[in-house]
Amino acid sequence: MNAWAWLLQRVSAVVLLIALGLHIWFLHFSSGDGVLHFGDIVKRLDTGVFITLDILLLICGLYHALYGLYSIFLDFTSGSKERIVVLTLLVMVGIGFSGFGVYGLLWFR
Amino acid sequence: MSDHLNIRLFRFNPEIDVEPRFEELQVPTFENMAILDVVMHIQNYLDRSLSFRFSCRVGMCGSCALYVNGRPRLACRTQVSALKTQNITIMPLPNLPIIRDLVVDMEPFFEKWKKIKPYYVSRKDIVDPVVVHPDSNEREFIDEMLDCIACGCCYGACSMAATNEEFLGPPALNRAYTLIADKRDAIRVERLKVVDKSYGVWRCHTQFNCSEVCPKNIVPTRSIQNLKKRCVLKKIGVFK
Repeated sequence: MNAWAWLLQRVSAVVLLIALGLHIWFLHFSSGDGVLHFGDIVKRLDTGVFITLDILLLICGLYHALYGLYSIFLDFTSGSKERIVVLTLLVMVGIGFSGFGVYGLLWFR
Repeated sequence: MSDHLNIRLFRFNPEIDVEPRFEELQVPTFENMAILDVVMHIQNYLDRSLSFRFSCRVGMCGSCALYVNGRPRLACRTQVSALKTQNITIMPLPNLPIIRDLVVDMEPFFEKWKKIKPYYVSRKDIVDPVVVHPDSNEREFIDEMLDCIACGCCYGACSMAATNEEFLGPPALNRAYTLIADKRDAIRVERLKVVDKSYGVWRCHTQFNCSEVCPKNIVPTRSIQNLKKRCVLKKIGVFK
């Protein structure tokens, strides 16, 4: 853990607040009748702005959550070997889920 | 207020006891009685073998910190009436090795102080006396944080110190900040390097446990957050 990781955690929290707010608004409150239509989602995910917003949400959410997990793990251990193993595992999970999520989002285009 | 207190007292003598135990005792009350009076009464009239630490009796020396009814407190500054119960559990300060009864070994605590070099080192290029304006923000903040008496209450309340013995802890980090924030100090960057480690400032999760229990109303969490900001500023080359 270092200054950059901590700063990114703070930045990702701010981005999450904004992106999550927009995401919930557009998903649940923007349609006139209040009902979620698959067609609307497909249409929305065909635009660059929404894809960027969702990718941002995905990456910031994953970073924020995985950094939090790593931070909790560090509270209970001081072994450098365990730290490297857990960090590698979390980075792999992060990259894997990011790739999977981005692929899912781009699939609508 | 009742005329007596029901005391549940932590006892452990490593020369006799296999493991710690609790003793149930009754202590008569008097007006303005403090927890220190309770343990002194026990030692004077009920069991002379009870061990505990104290010195000044006025909240200045920081040696009588105990864990009273689930919270670290200074025994001399904690009024029995403030606890609002006649059932009182008295234990030694958490997160430190127990020497005997209510006495803990402060060595690990001060080892961490040593790591941050807790003394002022004057810059060579400045000529004393240096003018620090009395109402400057910097001065006010440092003055407030210098009230720390190293009693260990914050260390005993810190859940990070409880889970990881390498964590520097709130008092050492608070002390480090009072020196790093002082522009006259010659080894600010060196100090910042010591705290800019995984088991330095980055272990703090901003839970404010330390601030909650500080008998001097200091907020070490604020110092730690400021240290984190300084670490970031150092990375981008602003803090020199």
